[in-house]
Amino acid sequence: MRAGLRGMGPLLAPAAILLALLIVLAALRRGVFTLDELNTDAAAAMTLILVATGETIVILRGGIDLSVGGILSLATAIAATRGAAGPLEMAGWAVLILVIGAVVGMLNGALISVLELQPFLVTLATWSIVGGTALIVLPSEGGAVPGWWVDAGAGTFAGLSLAVWSLAALLLWWAWFRRTRLAASIRAAGSNERSAFLCGVALGRMNVAAYGLSGLFAALGGLFLTSQTGSGSPTVGNDFVLPAVAAVVIGGTVLSGGRGGLAGSAVGAFILTIIGNVVFVLHISSYWQPVVAGLILVLSVLATSLGELAMARRDAAL
Amino acid sequence: MSLLQATGITKRFGGIVALKSVAFEARAGEVHAVLGENGAGKSTFIQILSGAIAADEGSLSLRGQPFAPKNPREAERAGIAAVFQELSLVPDLTVAENIWFRREPLTWFGTVDRRELLRRTAWLLGELGLTKIAPDRAVRHLSVAERQVVEIAKALAGDPDVLILDEATSALPPQEVDWLLAIARKRADAGKLVLYISHRLAEVRRVAERMTVLRNGETVGTRTTANLSDDEIVTMMLGRRLDRLYPERRVTRTARVALQVEGLTVGHRLRGVDFSLHEGEILGVAGLQGHGQRELFLALFGATRSQGRISVWGKPTVIRDPHHALSAGVGMALLPEDRRLQGLLLSKSVRENLILAILPRIARHGLLDLRREGELVADAVRRLQVKVSSPEQLAGTLSGGNQQKVVLAKLLATQARILLFYDPTRGVDVGTKAEIFVLMRDLAAQGYAILFYSTDLPELTHLADRVAVLSYGRVAAVLEGQAIDEEAILRATLAERQAA
Repeated sequence: MRAGLRGMGPLLAPAAILLALLIVLAALRRGVFTLDELNTDAAAAMTLILVATGETIVILRGGIDLSVGGILSLATAIAATRGAAGPLEMAGWAVLILVIGAVVGMLNGALISVLELQPFLVTLATWSIVGGTALIVLPSEGGAVPGWWVDAGAGTFAGLSLAVWSLAALLLWWAWFRRTRLAASIRAAGSNERSAFLCGVALGRMNVAAYGLSGLFAALGGLFLTSQTGSGSPTVGNDFVLPAVAAVVIGGTVLSGGRGGLAGSAVGAFILTIIGNVVFVLHISSYWQPVVAGLILVLSVLATSLGELAMARRDAAL
Repeated sequence: MSLLQATGITKRFGGIVALKSVAFEARAGEVHAVLGENGAGKSTFIQILSGAIAADEGSLSLRGQPFAPKNPREAERAGIAAVFQELSLVPDLTVAENIWFRREPLTWFGTVDRRELLRRTAWLLGELGLTKIAPDRAVRHLSVAERQVVEIAKALAGDPDVLILDEATSALPPQEVDWLLAIARKRADAGKLVLYISHRLAEVRRVAERMTVLRNGETVGTRTTANLSDDEIVTMMLGRRLDRLYPERRVTRTARVALQVEGLTVGHRLRGVDFSLHEGEILGVAGLQGHGQRELFLALFGATRSQGRISVWGKPTVIRDPHHALSAGVGMALLPEDRRLQGLLLSKSVRENLILAILPRIARHGLLDLRREGELVADAVRRLQVKVSSPEQLAGTLSGGNQQKVVLAKLLATQARILLFYDPTRGVDVGTKAEIFVLMRDLAAQGYAILFYSTDLPELTHLADRVAVLSYGRVAAVLEGQAIDEEAILRATLAERQAA
């Protein structure tokens, strides 16, 4: 029980920020604490959450994955050129898209471990390569996914949208994943690579798995995005790279690796999404919106770090 | 008969030959010590045995079978477990997760069975008499000594046929040393092999039947411990006789007070400590692990929050942070507890490590003066006789004693006049120890004031002008002159305990 609470500690600050933002939003407009709002916000945040899931794994390992931008774009590009596909065919394409994402990620991991290259540079390169491929597949924004695909994306079950159910499934998956040996190896390598090696972690295989998962989740994010927009964009992924890293860090995962988790990243993704909403209802000039969003972001990060400082103090006092 | 055998083991790192055709043989049922000066090749040899690095030439055999571990995992499967000098625990995992890392009990979902994990850990720690360590605590919250103990528990968890202890006692307080020696003895009696690497001859004598000495990467010989005197062992290690370990005691203390401390308090660990440190004096600090010495040093260096009055060279001073402590106005430098974590940047060169603390002094108009930098670095390397191939050698590739010399050189380059030495000889070989002691005495003679904590009582009794004994965060006694002996120090720590 105590261990459980201790594990929750780092989540408190981001959760408090999210709540504060929601309260601010509720003061500005009605209907904030309703199911509808949850469905809408989850749909708006879900793509970012999926990308941030992969990013969380890679950052826990002490790395970074920029290629998620390219993978996400490519996924939407491929999906948006299959407008006429029937359910079975589309399922085949979806699987292919996920495999492509995973393979690109695994290549990242292999390059990083075999050639001992910097994750930043390797994934910057694959971002460019895969992003370029997306432009070849779908030269400009547009295209269409099958109509039923969009319907499914907008559908609800028991009053909750696909996004909410996906989020629940994702959190459940994480609850399993974080307790596996692979997750322990990833955290260990992110915490201290040399120790992990001495303890018998096969670093190469672990890198392939971690980056492979990141690519897979980026592709999944792309598929989800097309179910919301109905079309594809060969460059849309670029807008998700830094926000995904930001969501992970706001959620309390340490950029140098070893500590953190998905729940925080999901909260971080919601914070980034809600900031957009708050700025929007403030009715300020659209030029000022990014400025205000940035200021709120600084405050959020400040609160997170103050929270961590308090935790560290308490630990030191023990 | 022999459980572990090595023949013709050779290992090169770049142009440096670390091991030259090393031969080694050890039997089941013995504690076998491996001795040698810094850079003699002990650590390299151990790393080859445990699969962390591969030998260039030569062969190993284990239980009569050829044995060539490609990684630590293979060595572990073959029954070899090592407690490395560089701690191999993962700071962000808990004690339990670390001990059973990659051997965790799994549920049938493929997840780690936390309850079973904690149960096993509690059982193991109980079996080893380590009930004070909480299985679910993250390792980064543990002290260095506690980490070392967990590291040992981890090595024992797999019940290995060969247990390698590489300087495992260097971070341990006396009671835990006894504990470890008893465990080593027990394992040998149960027919296992324990390889015991230590710089402390007294421990080797207590626990090891036989010993093998390495020197400059070569095997000098294997002997029965009881047949050799300490002098003979040291001669084997050095290839010459070491005249004496401790320098002659000279009184260089002046009436000038360098550091006056009154009522220094840190949380509940340090509860109102008073003392004064004079110019030219080595003031020893003694105490059992966790009785406030760590907090005392950190507080003086401004690295932790404290209450109380501190005067530096007669001037009341509030030390805000380490940067302030090092500044010209205060002039106080700390040799930290764990040089690998706090004192050195292992992935940087010796030169970069040296200049880090003195950047402002070698900068001119905001730019580095490269000539001046070269001079200072060469001077520091020469002054402390650091064995480096060039100043560009990475600090991480140096032996323990040489790393410590680099840390010392860094400290002296700051021009601080008050030096806080926290266990400066930890994991350092006999030869370098003697050099460090001579250096400390010389520094005192030059008017430096040195606060000196050591886990090794003989160091305090031979080197310190006075010894302040800490107990439960208070100064239990200050011993001076003839009154300083090991028994008096121990009595002071225990007396307070009975009163408390």
